[in-house]
Amino acid sequence: MKRVGFESSFAIAEAVKMANIDVTSAYPITPQTHIVERIAQLIADGELDANYIPVESEHSAMSGCLGASAVGARTFTATAGQGLELMHEVLYVASSMRLPIVMSVCNRALSSPLSIWGDHSDVMAVRDTGWIQIFAENAQQAFDLTLCAFRIAEDPAVLLPTMVHIDGFHLSHVIESVLLPEVDEVNKFLPKFHPLYALNPSKPLTMGDFATPDLYTEAKKGQDEALRNSMKVILQAWREFGGLFERDYFPVETYRTEDADVLLLTMGSFSEVAMGAIDRLREAGEKVGLVKLRLWRPFPFDEFCQAVAQAKLLIVLDRAISFGGPGPVCSEAKAALYHLEKKPQIIGFIGGLGGRDISVEGFQDMIHRGMDKAEQGKFEEFEIFGVRG
Amino acid sequence: MDKLTEIRWHGRGGQGAVTSAELTALAAIKEGKFAQAFPSFGPERRGAPVLAFNRISESEHIRVRSAVTQPDIVVVLDPGLLYIVDVTSGLKDGGALIINSSKKLVDIKLEFGGPWQLAVVNATTIALELLKVPIVNTTMLGALLKVSDAIKLDFLLEPIEERFGKLAQRNIEACKRAYEETSVAEPSPTSKKVERAYAKESWPSWQELAPGFVVTEPGNARSYRTGDWRAQCPEWNHDRCIKCGICSLFCPEDCIRPNERGYPEADLYYCKGCGICARECWTQAITMGEEVKE
Ligand code: SF4
Ligand code: SF4
Repeated sequence: MKRVGFESSFAIAEAVKMANIDVTSAYPITPQTHIVERIAQLIADGELDANYIPVESEHSAMSGCLGASAVGARTFTATAGQGLELMHEVLYVASSMRLPIVMSVCNRALSSPLSIWGDHSDVMAVRDTGWIQIFAENAQQAFDLTLCAFRIAEDPAVLLPTMVHIDGFHLSHVIESVLLPEVDEVNKFLPKFHPLYALNPSKPLTMGDFATPDLYTEAKKGQDEALRNSMKVILQAWREFGGLFERDYFPVETYRTEDADVLLLTMGSFSEVAMGAIDRLREAGEKVGLVKLRLWRPFPFDEFCQAVAQAKLLIVLDRAISFGGPGPVCSEAKAALYHLEKKPQIIGFIGGLGGRDISVEGFQDMIHRGMDKAEQGKFEEFEIFGVRG
Repeated sequence: MDKLTEIRWHGRGGQGAVTSAELTALAAIKEGKFAQAFPSFGPERRGAPVLAFNRISESEHIRVRSAVTQPDIVVVLDPGLLYIVDVTSGLKDGGALIINSSKKLVDIKLEFGGPWQLAVVNATTIALELLKVPIVNTTMLGALLKVSDAIKLDFLLEPIEERFGKLAQRNIEACKRAYEETSVAEPSPTSKKVERAYAKESWPSWQELAPGFVVTEPGNARSYRTGDWRAQCPEWNHDRCIKCGICSLFCPEDCIRPNERGYPEADLYYCKGCGICARECWTQAITMGEEVKE
């Protein structure tokens, strides 16, 4: 194990190298470009023995990944924002054909107006594509969770494509210290990929076939069960990872939530900033805590309810707008809690759009505003935090 | 609630069952009734068994949109279907079964009689004579007019004219002639349905499907007997055939192979009787003859 200074993008490329992928099919887009550039460099320098398929668009990038994964290659790609949107229809094909592709998404706002900066609009737009979606908060997690993603995705009981989400710029372009494990340790954790089915001319089979109304429902049921059941493997993989590398990951993580009346719910890199706000408020004697959603799909209903049920108020930050409706994380939180007798009230905020910063003070302010609004009974309002006017 | 008449049409892709249902609905609507027509949506291939449906109500908008499973009237456009599809499935007592067949009513009755009116017409012959093609959609409408007052000829004329333009007159003639030539037997409440071993459709549960909906036995189309779809059969005239192979190139089932003397021959397990080979043969060595099937 050695400690190095790495940009998060390079940390991900390093994880991809250690995972010893066979194929990447990728198209550069800000703020993801550094990842695929670095991988291209590693391949060119002979440090990674893989095929790099340069394509003309993200639609083709994901289509290339389909083909590679379908023949049994360990496959990786990366994208962001508009690129993820351009892949959209192919994402469904990857998950329904049960192809364990791993993809880094450098979460980015969607046009228009054009914004290359981070938020979760792209993440939420692909929520229903059937991929496993995991959030990282810092460079170390980006590295760790990328390794874990291969292990989870390729597990014969899972076989589902997996996205590791890192916030564009706020994480992708940040240089931090990262602990790198030795290759043989990684190999212990991540076995070789043995596909259940692989395209092979001498043993032909059909993937992505056609289904009449008599079959489509059953096909979708099987896919949904697979995604729900992946939870067991995710927990197991993270438990083993923790045992080997002493860093623990859980679908829902909490920070200073013991006997907290008020909880803040965040995802991704802003969570660490919010931790600072919690520290300050705790010092001032306020009973507040932070809940971080690491796993977005499959949604960890039990873990989430357990983490928040005892609080009086849950303040949810969404970094995406669902135009005309509540924020997507906020609706999910409400749906998860609805059936419980004892549950917190919920105040939703939209914020951090298109790269807009939220500082430690900002989060302190957000928590106080949330408490005020709850007191005034303004539960229906979805405030865009910090919007002018 | 208003009386609802439900009709199920059995045909093959290309025979016009969907057109029959559409014209039926248009005629009913013209008459001031409420009606629906819709096909069983699917990957329609020429010759494949298809279904089309009608619902007709005297005075109410029809809300139900699901397939007709308990029809008042069943119309069978292709006699070959009688032996591969359970056409009387769900047919109501006191309903009507209308069949296109060259057989006599008494013979058909032995096999398909039941507590329903039975009507038989040799629609293919009428269509071939008047329209020069074995498409029996308008012809079978004549038989429908004979057994049911759900629609009336007067209101059918305009929809047929709109649909067929220059060919409308001949279609109307075919319809009228079928009306004249349809023979009808009254329901025999005591007679039982002849049980036949129709191929049952059974579908796997979600657990039985391979992950990712992978099909592990490729080329399984080979076991698909498209020969069952055939209403007409290609016949070769060896005096005209120059063994050029064009017919086999165009056959959509790829079922034409040279025999030991080098003449093309269709594998009747797969030949669906589409007639494309006959259309493409430049020496007119192929004619489509009527299929005799049991
Ligand atoms: S296209 Fe006509 S002439 Fe040519 S091989 Fe076929 S039947 Fe014979
Ligand atoms: S042999 Fe002729 S009629 Fe039969 S399927 Fe082929 S083209 Fe159609």
